[in-house]
Amino acid sequence: MPIESMEVLWFEQHELSLSELAGLSGLPLAVLEELLDCGAITPIESPGFEARFGAAALRAARAARRLRSDFELDIQALGLALSLLDRVAELEAQLRELRAKLPQRYPPRS
Amino acid sequence: MKYKDYYASLGLERAASEEQIKKAYRRLARKYHPDVSKETGAEEKFKEIAEAYQTLKDPEKRAAYDQLGSHAAGQEFEPPPNWQQQYSEAPFSAEEELDLSQLFAHLRGGGARSGGSRMSMPGQDYEVAVAISIDEAFNGTQIDLDLSMPEYDGQGRLHRVPRTFKARIPKGATDGQRLRLPGKGGKGLNGGRDGDLYLNISLRPHPLYRANGHDLYLDLPLAPWEAVLGTSVEVPTPGGVVRLKVPAGTQAGRQLRLPQRGLPRPKEGHGDLYAMVQIVVPGAVGDAERELYRKLAESSGFDPRGHFAVEAGHAH
Repeated sequence: MPIESMEVLWFEQHELSLSELAGLSGLPLAVLEELLDCGAITPIESPGFEARFGAAALRAARAARRLRSDFELDIQALGLALSLLDRVAELEAQLRELRAKLPQRYPPRS
Repeated sequence: MKYKDYYASLGLERAASEEQIKKAYRRLARKYHPDVSKETGAEEKFKEIAEAYQTLKDPEKRAAYDQLGSHAAGQEFEPPPNWQQQYSEAPFSAEEELDLSQLFAHLRGGGARSGGSRMSMPGQDYEVAVAISIDEAFNGTQIDLDLSMPEYDGQGRLHRVPRTFKARIPKGATDGQRLRLPGKGGKGLNGGRDGDLYLNISLRPHPLYRANGHDLYLDLPLAPWEAVLGTSVEVPTPGGVVRLKVPAGTQAGRQLRLPQRGLPRPKEGHGDLYAMVQIVVPGAVGDAERELYRKLAESSGFDPRGHFAVEAGHAH
């Protein structure tokens, strides 16, 4: 069996152009542009003219591709679903933070 | 080839109408879609549902599937003679690794007709959950991945190929982070790009540390007299033991910050480690110790609940 060693990239360190974002997410460019127009996907602040996108946008675009094909959602519904997923992720991060701060039982169960 | 019962996957009778198929799919997709479901095994379940729906929603594919006859799920079977010529554009081998879904991906029907089998198709992206320990996140680690991926051979036939990867998880990984391995997903077809492999990292629970991003939290139990008088304690961190000064009068719940002693960040620096003060009491005390506590109780003027009376008064 071939064993390959491979190069890994931090998802968080990605910076993508619009067409790279479309390619990596599998979303048609037209759909991606509509999601940009309605604010469901946002570019990162960049000094250049060309919009650049980070990990959050790639995550959202990939979710949008799945939701669109699996639920046959239109742009409005897609935008709504993405903003709700965002909120869920935010709440989960808060929950993770609170859980980390919550003291364990003392004495610890062996 | 192993038979899959697509009707059973959707909880349907074989005579189900198109409308019933759509309804069943929508109901199950809502329940098991990996983006919305928290149920364990949801992803696998959803793949099964989606595969069934892809075939049954298309009247031509459904007719081809019905022609395969009805078998028990998981039972070995062969498509009837001439079935391939009648329905399929791509040649396929009837070897065991061939998956029913791959057979149907090649059938004529709904939309895919125009390009035929020479159409360029990007490879599939895969997402894999990887759990690592806090010590592995601290030092970086190498993991083995065993995946089974559909691939085309030289004759354009599909096989399920077991692939083993070694992937280096660099320092800086933490809960909820993702890594992308470009081109390591499914192979593209006819010049389409190879898919990517995404690793979703999670941290396994640790007996001492709890992670939030790159910060770590550790419970620091103190005896009552240590909290009152102050002390200096040894605190374990993933990078080794450090000495921490606990100031006199330290209250329970206070967070003592040890800068840069958390998990390493991807580029540079570390998160912090927070020692969370707990004041704990011995489960049993001897006579001499109890006598000392009694003397303390008699001589202390400390009223820990002084604010009760004040606040209760305000409420009226």
